[in-house]
Amino acid sequence: MSTERRICIGVIMGAHGVRGQIRLRSFTADPESLFAYKPLTSEDGQRVFAVTRKDVMKNYFVAALPGVADREAAEALRGTKLYIERSVLPPAQAGEYYEADLIGLAARTAENEAFGAVEAVHDYGAGTFLEIKPKGGKSFMLPFNDDLVPVVDVAAGYVLIVVPEGWLDEEKPQKAPKKGPKA
Amino acid sequence: MARSVWKGPFVDGYMMKKAEKARASGRNDIIKTWSRRSTVLPQFVGLTFGVYNGNKFLPVSVTENMIGHKFGEFAPTRTFKGHTAADKKADKAGGKG
Repeated sequence: MSTERRICIGVIMGAHGVRGQIRLRSFTADPESLFAYKPLTSEDGQRVFAVTRKDVMKNYFVAALPGVADREAAEALRGTKLYIERSVLPPAQAGEYYEADLIGLAARTAENEAFGAVEAVHDYGAGTFLEIKPKGGKSFMLPFNDDLVPVVDVAAGYVLIVVPEGWLDEEKPQKAPKKGPKA
Repeated sequence: MARSVWKGPFVDGYMMKKAEKARASGRNDIIKTWSRRSTVLPQFVGLTFGVYNGNKFLPVSVTENMIGHKFGEFAPTRTFKGHTAADKKADKAGGKG
């Protein structure tokens, strides 16, 4: 059994029909690419799932598994998560990072002091940003750019961050000036 | 009903002052704002705003294709609790927004 980190890329939602087919939800950026990654294994890597795509529905795929021939056997797999080894993913290009690699990295200050950890990566259409969870504090967001995250070392397991001045200060909104009654 | 054209886009007055101050400073400061209702103007392109979503300030790096939208559109107030894509990549921007 390999000790390499595994990434969850799908889950079996339950049975489809009475012939042992399963409903499969994909967690990949392109849902179809679930079937391109091989081998799909259980979390501990001991069981290999050779899924065959049969059909596509609105929110899931219908697939078949060898050795699963009836509804009861398919239903027994409900909730099973499918994993791949991290090395199966193609290498990212320069300046690109897999979100799965970034989450969990230690966040250090420019003086190389431990600050916290990367909790999540978000993008709502106005640039990617990291959610940093400081040690013993409320998490905050930091734009993922060269100025504020100058170093990303996935192999060493850390990112260097520069927190802009005043970004973590508690502030209250400015109140709009009250309008007097109309004359 | 759409806003009348003769009024021009709505922007809270202090947003303009903050943006001018940030641009003059030349630093990579993030401009905190609670004004989700303000329209993104061409003068804001290249700046980074921290738009409050009721809980946190979310960084909004303004680009040309965001002009005319409201700041609130880029800082959702509800958390998506679904599963993120396992093989999704994050692009690192060059800097200065």
